[in-house]
Amino acid sequence: MRNINFGYGISRPRAIDIDNNDLRKSNAIIAEMPELQACIGCGSCTASCTAGNLTEFNFRRLHTAVRRGEYKGAYEDINKCMLCGKCRLVCPRGINTRALIMLIKRKLGDF
Amino acid sequence: MTFFAPFTIPFIIGTIFLFAAVATKFVLWLVRLPRVDKRLIRHNLFTWHTLAAVWEVVRESLLHVRIFKVNPVLGFMHASLAFGWFLLIVVGWIETVAYLGAQWVPLQGHVFFKYFMPINGITHHEPLFEQLMDALLLVVLTGVALAWMKRLRSRFMGMRRTTKHILFDRVALSALWFIFPARLIAESLTAALYGGEGFLTGSLGHALAETVPHDLLVMFYEPSWWVYSSLLGIFFVAMPFSRYMHILAEIPLIFLRHWKLHPTAERKSYDRFEVEACSRCGICIDPCQLQSELGINDVQSVYFLRDRRYNMLNLKVANNCLMCGRCEAKCPVGINLNTLRLNSRAKRRNIPYEGRYKYLRGLDRSSGEGRVGYFAGCMTSLTPATQHSMEQIFKAVGEDVWFADRDGGVCCGRPLMLTGETDAARKMVAYNTDLFRRHNITTLVTSCPICLRVFREHYRLDGIEVLHHSEYIDRLITEGRLSVAADARRYTYHDPCELGRGCGIYDAPRRVIAAVGEVVEPKHSRRDALCCGSSLANTVIDDSQQLRLGERMTAELEATGCDTIVTSCPLCMKAINRAARCSVEDISEVVAKNILRS
Amino acid sequence: MAKRVVIVGGGPAGMQTALELKARGIEPIIVERDVELGGKVRDWHKLFPSFTPASDVLDPIIRGVKSAKIRCFLGQEVRAIAPDGVTLRSEERIHADAVVVATGFTLFDAHRKQEYGYGLYSNVITSVDLERMMNNGRVTLADGSEPRRIAILHCVGSRDEKVCQRHCSKVCCITGVKQAIELKQMFPTADVFNFYMDIRMFGAGYEELYREAQQRYNVHFVRGRISEAAQTINDRIQIKAEDTLTGRPLRMTVDMLVLLVGMNGNRDNESLAASASLNIAPNGFFEPKDSFRGAVCSQREGIFFAGAATAPKSLADTLAEASMTASTVAEYLNHKYNTR
Repeated sequence: MRNINFGYGISRPRAIDIDNNDLRKSNAIIAEMPELQACIGCGSCTASCTAGNLTEFNFRRLHTAVRRGEYKGAYEDINKCMLCGKCRLVCPRGINTRALIMLIKRKLGDF
Repeated sequence: MTFFAPFTIPFIIGTIFLFAAVATKFVLWLVRLPRVDKRLIRHNLFTWHTLAAVWEVVRESLLHVRIFKVNPVLGFMHASLAFGWFLLIVVGWIETVAYLGAQWVPLQGHVFFKYFMPINGITHHEPLFEQLMDALLLVVLTGVALAWMKRLRSRFMGMRRTTKHILFDRVALSALWFIFPARLIAESLTAALYGGEGFLTGSLGHALAETVPHDLLVMFYEPSWWVYSSLLGIFFVAMPFSRYMHILAEIPLIFLRHWKLHPTAERKSYDRFEVEACSRCGICIDPCQLQSELGINDVQSVYFLRDRRYNMLNLKVANNCLMCGRCEAKCPVGINLNTLRLNSRAKRRNIPYEGRYKYLRGLDRSSGEGRVGYFAGCMTSLTPATQHSMEQIFKAVGEDVWFADRDGGVCCGRPLMLTGETDAARKMVAYNTDLFRRHNITTLVTSCPICLRVFREHYRLDGIEVLHHSEYIDRLITEGRLSVAADARRYTYHDPCELGRGCGIYDAPRRVIAAVGEVVEPKHSRRDALCCGSSLANTVIDDSQQLRLGERMTAELEATGCDTIVTSCPLCMKAINRAARCSVEDISEVVAKNILRS
Repeated sequence: MAKRVVIVGGGPAGMQTALELKARGIEPIIVERDVELGGKVRDWHKLFPSFTPASDVLDPIIRGVKSAKIRCFLGQEVRAIAPDGVTLRSEERIHADAVVVATGFTLFDAHRKQEYGYGLYSNVITSVDLERMMNNGRVTLADGSEPRRIAILHCVGSRDEKVCQRHCSKVCCITGVKQAIELKQMFPTADVFNFYMDIRMFGAGYEELYREAQQRYNVHFVRGRISEAAQTINDRIQIKAEDTLTGRPLRMTVDMLVLLVGMNGNRDNESLAASASLNIAPNGFFEPKDSFRGAVCSQREGIFFAGAATAPKSLADTLAEASMTASTVAEYLNHKYNTR
């Protein structure tokens, strides 16, 4: 009985459910900074990240999740960022990562 | 004696309004000053600082010496208007006294004295004063003519662009343009009817008397004084809300500055003096590379201050600035443009979120031991040649060094400050301060000018001397601890904004380079140096725009025909390296390559 | 009298075009900047995907050029081109009835990616350095010892806005796979890690080789771009990347880091193009008239392209294109002189 999923468990669903995820915030973020979609997921930002060197913070994973409408924990996570700007310097797609972090914070946060 | 006529009413109303409005503003701003600032005022009020302020008011508010230095024609325009008008008032006052002796005359009696002369039966003329007043009027009129020219063709004034204005400015500006021509007409008509001996109004009056029928002159006489008075009234009413407020705001600002007040990371009422002291002369537009290279026309300091003053500032304008300080270096009023922009950002972005950066607790990844600490900076890990060279230099002089961040450190906090997150930045400041103290260093060397600036300006590191690596190397060479070989290579040095205009370090890097080769200066250098475009302060421009700024700046550096471009900031280094065809090196690399082994 | 065609560049593209023109009774003249024919393939050890020695392909072509007595101006640089000939830097003019631009490409200068420490750390080398070492018969670390752990980084100077090279250099992926196998053959006990953003295996036999590298040679493929490299005290290289497939930062120390440098347009492409009003594509290479039927034609009649002057290409593609260029030029000359 314990393994039956009644659909209202507390644990996070395993799959990313694009059908039911609220993509409004994600669309608003992309509309404001379309260059986010240019990410090729190389992981340079995360690899060089000053905060990522000290914590679990993973900017590539975070913004990918946000783009898929997965916002849970994103705001708390993004606040680990120190905005040092190394990621912008290494991004092979020239994405303005610092502006993006500020934008995500603005859209997901409380100000 | 009568000193009242109906036409003076607009002038009187305008004047009363102006005094009331300005007094309210000043009193409110002063009352709302933080306690520290008030204490500073009390402390410095009766000192020589006040005298120095008086002298500066004369130089800047009246003569506009600083504008003269930047742009002589523009300086003349401002001086002829400001100083000319001031003298008109003062000499006008003395003139009344000369005619009437020491007796009380209401304000309008002084201002419209020429009108009241015949009414009060004064028929004789004092030629000296008439000539003097006419000469002053001519000076002011020249200023007005130049202002007209500036509107029509800014190039004529040696400016690529002039400021775009809002409605209040346009009203005030239009009134100002016509005040003095109107005065000329009114006084000339008076001279035509009642005689006058001034070379300007007098001769014009005689000419009018000879050519224009007498009844026409009589018909236009009263209206001409109405026009003059109304224009004055309109100007005075618009003044406190227009850019012309700068005439009055600059005076208390100069005093406050001499009493050691300055803007801070948090907005305060002192900022209002600075914001309203901006005359919107537009000198800040030309040095802005966002304008000259990228054609962005609405974010320059003049527009930022305007938008902030009228509460129409948006984040995009506040954020779209390299904070290179090129405009600040040229501002004739000496407004702290960068600080004001930063506290505008902070107002909108600073969110106290106590849970942030808990992970810093108990963290220490430093290595090595020594009295000298080396903080490479986050960006420097992307230019490993700098780090490598510094290690070679430390080794060559036998310095025991504690490495703060060789294995990953914590950001200095300035990037957060630049985006307005001052409270979050404080956590980095506290963390790093504690780290430096714990390791008992006496000297802190950093390779990143951004870190250097925040260490110097926002950290309390008493007992620890903070040096940029160029200063440290310079010291090693001058003290004879490090000897380097010189050759015939030609180096062009690029001044990083944060190091040059930010920390005032221009000579140390040049001395270091001169020790190993020849320094050739680019067209813009030192205080005038261009920004590489990669500034962390700007979060609006995109990569291609950053690149364009970098390319243009690098082209100028390469135009010197140097063998190597040298800089001393990892961000500048990366930007130049993207665009350069010749070799690009950090100052530490240049030195490390030339160390003489003893 | 035989029609004359000046070919700018004496690499595989230029030589193959020359040989085929000669066979059609047209007189080719090769102008080569270097003092020797052969181009960059001369430094190459073996060719993907078949491991054919590069000399097996190159030598017959060079011998052919020599035995056909094709005139070559070696050590001469072309300053300007026109449909009726070229001007050398020495201001000498060579007249011709058509011109073929076969100037190839420039290798990305790995020094420009400062974060990888090329030129600074002794055991960071480029893919070209590795080929040279293999040609010299010995691959070692700077101290002469054998590497036990090697990282190969893809896309150095390709697909990177930060060095203004936005395009994919096409051949590095398969080169990386080839070199990984060669390294494993040389050092069977060594671990080889390929760091990539995307693996692009477009050619015949490439995908198979990729699989062989994975399965037979146990080459590790890590999806993540190395962001920085640092040298340890004992001259090893510490690299940082994100293992994007697990979503976690990855840190490792290797003995050798091989940078797969990309193909860039030549620096003087712009001045050459300007001299003949040709177009330069945003990637810095010459822009052909169109990418389908006019791939070897320029915007100017009488000026043609062959090989990597128009885009990064493999040696096989380059040689195939050279044949196409030769037939297009022959047809052009035929048409031009027979209709007059």
